[in-house]
Amino acid sequence: MRSRFVPLALVVAVALAFAVATAPLVGVAQDAKTPRLVFASAGFDESNRFWVISRPDHLQYDPFLETLLEVDPKSGEYTPRLAEKWSSSPDFKEWTFHLRKGVQFHFGYGPFTAKDVVHSHSLMMRPEATATLAGFWRQVEKVEAVNDHLVVFRFKRPTTVMPYAASRAGDLRIVSKAQWDKEGQEGFEKRPAGTGSYRYVGREPGLSISFERADNHWKGEKPAFKELVFRLAREESTRLALLLSGEAHIADLPRELQKDALKRGMKIYSSSFPVDWMTVYLGGQYYLPGDTAFKADVAWTKKPVRQALNMAINRKELLKTVFAGKGTLTYVTGWSDKSEGYNPEWASRFDQMYGYNPAKAKELLKSAGYGPGQLKFKILAFTEPGESEGPQVAEALNIYYKDIGVETEIEVLDWAKVREMFRKKTIQCCMWPNIISWRPSEEWIRTSYWSKSPNHHYENEFVDKHYDELTKAVNPLERQKIARTIGDHLFEEFADIPLFWFANEVVANPKVVGDWVYPGLAAGRSTHFHLVKPAK
Amino acid sequence: MQRYIARRVLHSLLAILAMSLIVFSLARITGNPLDVMLPLEAGPEDYARVSRHWGLDRPLTTQYLIFLGKAVQGDFGNSWKWHGHSAMGLVWQRLPATLQLAGFALLISVLIALPVGVLAAVMKGTVWDSAAKVIALLGQSLPAFWLGIVLMWVFAVHLGWFPTSGKGGLQHLVLPAITLGWFQVAALMRLVRSSMLEVLDSEFVKLTRIKGLSEWKVVWKHCLRNAAIAPLTFFAIIAGVLMTGAVVTESVFSWPGTGLLVVDAVRARDFQVVQAVVIVFAGIFILTNLLVDILYAYLDPRIRYQ
Amino acid sequence: MATVTARTLPWYAPPRMALALRQLRRYPLVPVAILTFCLVIPAVLASQVAPHDPLKGSLANRLKAPAWQEGGSLDYPLGTDKLGRDILSRMIHGARVSLVVSLVAILVGGAIGTGLGLISGYFGRWTDSLIMRLVDISLSLPTILLALVLVAAVGPSFGTVITVLVVLLWARYARLVRAETLAIKERDFIARARVAGASHARIMLRYIFPNVVNSLVVLATLQVGYVILLESALSFLGAGLPRPTPAWGLMIADGRELIVTAWWVSMFPGLAIMLTVLSLNLLGDWLRDHLDPKLRHV
Repeated sequence: MRSRFVPLALVVAVALAFAVATAPLVGVAQDAKTPRLVFASAGFDESNRFWVISRPDHLQYDPFLETLLEVDPKSGEYTPRLAEKWSSSPDFKEWTFHLRKGVQFHFGYGPFTAKDVVHSHSLMMRPEATATLAGFWRQVEKVEAVNDHLVVFRFKRPTTVMPYAASRAGDLRIVSKAQWDKEGQEGFEKRPAGTGSYRYVGREPGLSISFERADNHWKGEKPAFKELVFRLAREESTRLALLLSGEAHIADLPRELQKDALKRGMKIYSSSFPVDWMTVYLGGQYYLPGDTAFKADVAWTKKPVRQALNMAINRKELLKTVFAGKGTLTYVTGWSDKSEGYNPEWASRFDQMYGYNPAKAKELLKSAGYGPGQLKFKILAFTEPGESEGPQVAEALNIYYKDIGVETEIEVLDWAKVREMFRKKTIQCCMWPNIISWRPSEEWIRTSYWSKSPNHHYENEFVDKHYDELTKAVNPLERQKIARTIGDHLFEEFADIPLFWFANEVVANPKVVGDWVYPGLAAGRSTHFHLVKPAK
Repeated sequence: MQRYIARRVLHSLLAILAMSLIVFSLARITGNPLDVMLPLEAGPEDYARVSRHWGLDRPLTTQYLIFLGKAVQGDFGNSWKWHGHSAMGLVWQRLPATLQLAGFALLISVLIALPVGVLAAVMKGTVWDSAAKVIALLGQSLPAFWLGIVLMWVFAVHLGWFPTSGKGGLQHLVLPAITLGWFQVAALMRLVRSSMLEVLDSEFVKLTRIKGLSEWKVVWKHCLRNAAIAPLTFFAIIAGVLMTGAVVTESVFSWPGTGLLVVDAVRARDFQVVQAVVIVFAGIFILTNLLVDILYAYLDPRIRYQ
Repeated sequence: MATVTARTLPWYAPPRMALALRQLRRYPLVPVAILTFCLVIPAVLASQVAPHDPLKGSLANRLKAPAWQEGGSLDYPLGTDKLGRDILSRMIHGARVSLVVSLVAILVGGAIGTGLGLISGYFGRWTDSLIMRLVDISLSLPTILLALVLVAAVGPSFGTVITVLVVLLWARYARLVRAETLAIKERDFIARARVAGASHARIMLRYIFPNVVNSLVVLATLQVGYVILLESALSFLGAGLPRPTPAWGLMIADGRELIVTAWWVSMFPGLAIMLTVLSLNLLGDWLRDHLDPKLRHV
């Protein structure tokens, strides 16, 4: 009868539920003795075609593809790697690299010679190349393999930043010509041979990339962990879960979650140097005479307004609340104390000029003709994988500006849209916070403050003129002087709203990871995995 | 019958063509992929070079015709973000993962809905019925991603029963599938319940009851068999819903399926992949509908003459 | 068909209280009560009921725990979010946002869908074919994709979200109304009206539409919950309402990464959505059972 049916159905349902809930389990946690190191990354563009991959995503090549120069993990200096010695001509148009002997490519593709350098450069010259320094590498007029261990780069114009570009902070990965000749692009992409202390094993698209320790590294580097895996997990909570459950041993976590991980016994490993800075950029600053994109009704084309917008922000509080106190002040956008043209005076003058003073900010606004409630603009915010603070900063700005009687509207877009706007010069309406990683001053000025750059957000005659001089200057002292002049100018003019410098921080399981020193300035930020020492 | 089929097939083809135009235009209004592909440092020559390389400098109508011409042959071009992969190749590569997830989610929702629906039908009007209804409705009321994160936290991190994310063995499927399938439980349960009720009350069953056959046998053999037809259409619809609903679930659990592919492609302005995914999804949906329509036309001749 | 029969089993005798409660179950008291409390009152009286300004926060008060937890205070009964805004106030205003968004989307989508469904069912042939093709296409557009693309192109705003929702919703109404219209238009009174000289529009609006309203109401009620869930999913993917709108979906998205450290940021809006949608679904079910049981397929 029906009565028999009911308990039976219930039993079946319960049994099924139980079966599902206790489905085949896998021992997910790994003990400290495992020879495999798993790094949970926020994600990167996956491909072995390093010439189309942007610098931050070169993280995926760091273990197995090397560059001519190294970035010292402790000092940040450019030191020998695949090149033992290098020098430039007096006019800095020619760079000569003496290559190391006795370096072997993985998988038996033979010794490393100058031909491989020429080949690697030629990959950068392909029409689809969109690497960060692809434009730079196209400035090379000719690259010549003088002999097996001597290569010369000839540039169209004086180039002082070559060591940066050829280093681990740049993106010229040295790959084997012999492999390309033998297996073509397909073979190369399937299993690229490099010279690093790790060897490429394979990828699972969307999931991971794996490496294994290579035998007989030319420098004798022997990473402590036999296997290395970069696991991709775009969701921060997933990365935290991977770390806490033991599936991953190091994880790239946003500051909010770092606190929680620390509570559960994890440890933070910081890069030796500040790597990224955050600034709020003000759109529409096109001061070249005759530039139609210049709109005089944009409030911050007046200097007092720019200063007011700076002084309205309580940087200390912002740093503490949004960034968990982890950062140092940026005085001029893009300049760290490692940059050419850095002026220590900025630090002492900063508080007086940019410091938190809402009363003064209101005064300045009034003097420019903007009473309370009369100034309105948009703040654009966007997030990128691994950088989630944009909208938070925007909302904090909204609150600070409300306090000085400025109305702001936050629009959350994606980065591509914002780029489109400043490329098309339609961004007069808005300001936007952005995190950018360190690059040499000349590169940074060219990208963002030079009127001929497609992606500049600020232009005037002063910067254009001095930038021009900078590109021609080769004497280091003279270069420092010109760069400092430009920096001073931007400082005085309140060109943007500089905020903070950040080091790169990752969280690791102290039961597995002991010691790790990495500069942060190398391409990919989290690099030098061969230096990860296991816990005792 | 053949005329009906021919007409339906023609309509479906037209629908797919319209989809291709819609998708082509929609993808392009999102913006210029060069803003994603090129670094900030890129100069005007770099923009021109890369634009030329991908054929983006040609007029829109030319681009559409080229796209259409190649699409008919199954070639949706190469992805701009996933370098070296063809757009269609990516879709085929990721589709099995999504289908697996959707299938397993459907299985789980059936496993829950079936007993609950049967129970509710048999115990109609009692508190069991209402309780079953509320439990199933609960699934339809929870935001999927919230459920996913909570499940992950409780079962994967605190209890350690399942892995937290990614694709692997059966254990990796469970949490994402529950998250995805839970939503359908209510609708399925309601369907099972109403189908069961109809048949339970039918003359046929009353007859078997009078004959003295075991009630148990009656329920399982006859009711479910007769009730199976309605869910057929339902599955077709669910398939579509599950595949698109998978986007959120795939994000939370980093499940490498087509849902996630589409989100990334839109963010990267990768038109080729966006076009490929949308057309494949739409194609599957339209095809399923077509098959179901033809099946019904076969079963019920009246429909053919509409 | 709408009668409720109690099945008594030999080993289960319900107490008199339960029998009395079963009588009350004729009316959907519980769902209506929850809805009034969670949705209607907050939505209508938001500014009066909410203790704080939902948009104003202070960074000093960020991530405060709910009142009954350590570190919480009655000032912020349900805690604060990343920017120091009161969660309770945001939830109350969020009710208004959710209600407005879903009502507008359903009204617009429903109107378009009903209109097209009527036309399609009534005129038949080419019009019918064309409109049904449109329905097919619209139903085969992947939901999330459309939203993502639109937001990527135009930027998030109320208008964008409403547009996306309308495009997704109208087709269901069109299908439903068309099916009903097909059934109704064969009836005698329609033929008589035609003979009497009534215009097409008049017939559709005065004769067919009123018979379709029941189903529309049921569908609409069931859809409010669905729309609220959809909006929260879109916000999760960054394709929803613009910040700093206090929408429930946005609040959950905000608290997503904090689910371990500051669970209250996501939990309470999530509960609000759950309760609201659950009640709406229960109400819709009851409406369907009592207005027109033939609508089981809706």
